[in-house]
Amino acid sequence: MVGQGIISQGLQLPLPILITLLGGMATPFIGLISEKMRLRLTDAWMVLVSALSLYGVYTLYDQVSKTANHVLLIYSWGQTPPFSGCFEIDMLGVYMAFSIGLLSLLVSVYSISYMEHESRVTEFNTLVIFMVSGMYGIVMSGDLFTLFVFWELMGLASYVLVSFLKRNWGPIEAGFKYLVMSATAGAFLLLSMALIYGMAGTLNFAALASTLRGAPMTPWTILIFATLIVGFGVKSAIVPLHTWLPDAHPEAPSPISALLSGIVIETGLYALTRVLYIAFEPGFFKVPIAALALVTMTVGNLLALRQDDLKRMLAYSSIGQVGYMLIGISTGMTYGLLGTFLHIFNHSLMKGMAFLSVGSIVHETGTRDINKLKGVGRMMPWTTLSIFVAFMGLGGVPGTSGFISKFILFNASMGAGLSILALAGVLNSTLSMAYYLRVLIALLSKRTEETIEAKEAPILMVGVAMVMAVLIIVLGFYPSPIVGIASDASKSLIEGLTNYIGAVL
Amino acid sequence: MYPLEMFIVTTAMLFLFGLVALIMKRDLVRLLIGIEILFNAANLLFVALSTQTPGMIDPFPQSIVMMALVLDGTVIAVGLALALNVFKHYKTFDIKKLRKLKW
Repeated sequence: MVGQGIISQGLQLPLPILITLLGGMATPFIGLISEKMRLRLTDAWMVLVSALSLYGVYTLYDQVSKTANHVLLIYSWGQTPPFSGCFEIDMLGVYMAFSIGLLSLLVSVYSISYMEHESRVTEFNTLVIFMVSGMYGIVMSGDLFTLFVFWELMGLASYVLVSFLKRNWGPIEAGFKYLVMSATAGAFLLLSMALIYGMAGTLNFAALASTLRGAPMTPWTILIFATLIVGFGVKSAIVPLHTWLPDAHPEAPSPISALLSGIVIETGLYALTRVLYIAFEPGFFKVPIAALALVTMTVGNLLALRQDDLKRMLAYSSIGQVGYMLIGISTGMTYGLLGTFLHIFNHSLMKGMAFLSVGSIVHETGTRDINKLKGVGRMMPWTTLSIFVAFMGLGGVPGTSGFISKFILFNASMGAGLSILALAGVLNSTLSMAYYLRVLIALLSKRTEETIEAKEAPILMVGVAMVMAVLIIVLGFYPSPIVGIASDASKSLIEGLTNYIGAVL
Repeated sequence: MYPLEMFIVTTAMLFLFGLVALIMKRDLVRLLIGIEILFNAANLLFVALSTQTPGMIDPFPQSIVMMALVLDGTVIAVGLALALNVFKHYKTFDIKKLRKLKW
């Protein structure tokens, strides 16, 4: 088996979760030692844990592709699935875990430099490792309750990380708002779990797919659908529930902004997709999700236009990108889901890089106001180059990986008979270039007396951004490896569903 | 098997009370109590549904309730810690004063 036996060979965990959980628990002790030795050991520890967990994802991929029907089942104390919590790992879970591991490794390298002058680095590193662990758990869990436990682990770590710089009032206010909205959503999620249990008698995904799926539409199924949308929708910032995001993402430290915008909201979207496709037929949720997609991308992009705060603008742009990803979910086809999951991976790289590069600028100049940053780009050429690549990718310019996933998404929405979504998506992409180009114009304009003096960011920060830029451009010209894995992953929700049920039950 | 209707009505009422508390109350601690009421409504529904399997009482939802109590307790603890920090900066627990960030 994958997991290591902890309690008399009974408690089995997938390797990435085991590494991050144990690593997170060990971090405070490493912090104690490093304080004694006056070394920065916890940073090295965090990079080591992230790299090891990425290796764990690779071994998991190996094992999943070797099993007969590509579903790896891990359960504890001999309890078989329909009656107990378990982990069910298929290609989709491995694919999402790969995105999480890659971004968290890059972010942990970046935050060595970024958090250099902050106190309480040990707490920061511990919380980041636990947040990553929660995300791994969400993408691998095989029933709703295991998902809920890891959901709250991710949530708890992210509330504290958003309000980490507690000497300012901004992070505290944003963190409290985030906590109230997310905890309310957690209560809705628990209620939907209770309703699902009442209808089906189980919370296991495979058992739900064979009992609840295809049930006739009653008030109870509509209630379950509504509570699920509220429960998952707050974390993934679907529009009527997005109000915490433009406050929380800018106020967090920049590496955390990159993690939150790059992968945490997408993990919420993954959970929504998984549960919706397990519990309902695609025809049931096609129209509501399409309406949410339309509203989400339009509102996100329109509000981003009138922001002066650079990080706040990027946060609104994240809302717009969530709207594009919802298009793929609403199509109900494997091709649309391929677009969604490809865009999740690409967005994690592009938005992560955008937040990291903007973080370099904030780190060097101390301001986030676009109007005050005129001419700063000429003093930070490498950072400006990475911002350029990230913004071109987010806008969907051909030659970057963002173009490919957006093309697939819009193409799929035409195929599913929702051509209004394709039209709105293309118009929104054009609209989004307006505010991306505004930032680039400000950064590259001529120096004046008011220009803030700045120098290039430290080598580690620039290096991480450059690695991501190279990845985006390479995947833009040569997308076949990642598209191959993503199409394997997206098959597991529709065509692979009977296979999934058969493998578990 | 207990009759279920009464429990469903109670759950709906508790959920309504929690949402009303979240919308109407201005005190940060009362907001957190509202969230706690929401969690407890969902937990009550779980416990009520656990009696509905014929011939037995299903232990699975009851174990879920145990874990969910721990989880919402930790969330409320973090919320109270943040409320203390809010008080340090704003010298008040009034949610209407937390308007420095744009909404």
